[in-house]
Amino acid sequence: MNAMPDDKPRPMLRVQSLQRSYGKRVVLRDVTFDAAAGSVIALLGSNGAGKTTALKCILGVISFGGEIEVDGCSVKKDGKEARKRIGYVPQLPALAEGDTCQQALEFIADLKGAPRAGITPALELVNLAQERDARIGQLSGGMRQRLAVAAAVLGGPPVLLLDEPTASLDIDSKREFQQLILRLRDEGKTIILSTHFFEHLEELADRVLILHDGRVAFDGTTDDLAATSRSKRLVVNLNGHSPSETAAVLERAGIDRSRIQPVAMGWEDIVLATQQTEEDAQ
Amino acid sequence: MNAVVTVARKEVRDALNSTWLLLYAVMFTALALGLSYLGERNLGSLGFENFSRTTASLLNLCLLLAPLVALALSSGAIAGERDRGTLTFLLAQPLERWELLLGKYAGLAASIGLATAAGFGVAGSLIALQSSAMDAGTYILFLGLVLALIVVMTGLGLVVSVVSESRVQALGMAMLIWFVAAFFFDLVLIGMVSTTSLGGGGLLLALLANPIEIVRVLAIIRLEPDLQILGPFGSYLMERVGTTGATVILSTALLAWIAVPVGIAAWLFEARED
Repeated sequence: MNAMPDDKPRPMLRVQSLQRSYGKRVVLRDVTFDAAAGSVIALLGSNGAGKTTALKCILGVISFGGEIEVDGCSVKKDGKEARKRIGYVPQLPALAEGDTCQQALEFIADLKGAPRAGITPALELVNLAQERDARIGQLSGGMRQRLAVAAAVLGGPPVLLLDEPTASLDIDSKREFQQLILRLRDEGKTIILSTHFFEHLEELADRVLILHDGRVAFDGTTDDLAATSRSKRLVVNLNGHSPSETAAVLERAGIDRSRIQPVAMGWEDIVLATQQTEEDAQ
Repeated sequence: MNAVVTVARKEVRDALNSTWLLLYAVMFTALALGLSYLGERNLGSLGFENFSRTTASLLNLCLLLAPLVALALSSGAIAGERDRGTLTFLLAQPLERWELLLGKYAGLAASIGLATAAGFGVAGSLIALQSSAMDAGTYILFLGLVLALIVVMTGLGLVVSVVSESRVQALGMAMLIWFVAAFFFDLVLIGMVSTTSLGGGGLLLALLANPIEIVRVLAIIRLEPDLQILGPFGSYLMERVGTTGATVILSTALLAWIAVPVGIAAWLFEARED
């Protein structure tokens, strides 16, 4: 990997002051982050937070303010070259249903200028070698998304952008896909994973980036994120006391009733709480 | 340029698997044979007509059918991808927007051209077997003109496809263009010639503004330069500049009709943010 003069490794992906509007609606405001080689960043946020727009900017599919570099290549100056360094998996399967897996991957390999010899290892990586000659229309949703990953890794791009790849999958397929992400991370890919779903977040992601209202509301590890939330919340072991009595005591102490809720803390709650904190701060 | 070839090859493969194109080729062949056979029956002779008469009969069929199919299929090139949500995926690959557009353009024009040539070929071969008077050169020249018209209409369909938000909208706009170019244009201009004093320049511009009319006049000039058949626009041109001059002017205009729409489509596609 190339190194900068101060010997710090150059990030595989660098996003600097990214801005983007649709008409008068500002979707991304001064978003800055970078991704080290071999790391997995979970890009979280509710619908309309700007996740997909950020990914489109990284791909150079839409114009943007600021600067984005992929493996040292400027997306603005040479989008095509930058895209050679990126594998993209969209939310919905995008490969032609009438094609066989082999035909679809040949098309993508040719577009990328990648050798077709890479198709077999890519199919093996996603456990679809047996389905090589099957029509894509006959595959399950999970298989199609895995095939999209096979297409993305053709040509060996160092960066993978996954745009809510498990959104339309059932639980089993989702879990299978998560295992695939771990395999790709082990192979040294830098992965940006945009998602709504937070199961196994700590297992999948080295870092979490929460977008809210077009800004970076949080950028850190899952431990940092959990710690941030813990400092704002108190989990009380009621130990036999009535929840309503405890709530009444807290209310008398000046805590608004709406802020006292029996909640099991999952990742989703933590992320939402962080967004709430960001809104409160504004 | 590799990306252009890859996209074009994919378009041809998809088109060859498409029922629409197969139907078009079969229908085209059947109509070509039917027209020839009916022409022969009307004249009371035996067998199929010779090439020149058949070509003349095919003229109106081609001027209606080929633009219709080219516009309908090419209008879905980009708008269809946009509808299916696959356009971003394609643009996320290492290719430029113009490469995607040019690949689709080349692939579609080649597919529709191939289907048309196949129809022409089958009909032409059968007629050649039956007919004694052969004019294969004219037949091939006419096929070339129809192919040029297909390329023009594919380019216009691409412009529509780029600016449309959905496949349905694109198809609607494409059908409107087809209707105006194939029917409405002639009716309105003939009306204008009879009711207003449309000058020579006006007549020439009117002719050059419609690629279907350009091909029609070019074909008639090559087949049988009859002033009655040529109509007001073609007659004016023939009287002013003669056969060679008219051929040069119309061929140049046809080349412009090939280049300009695809250039506009590429420019608009670059400016769009899908």
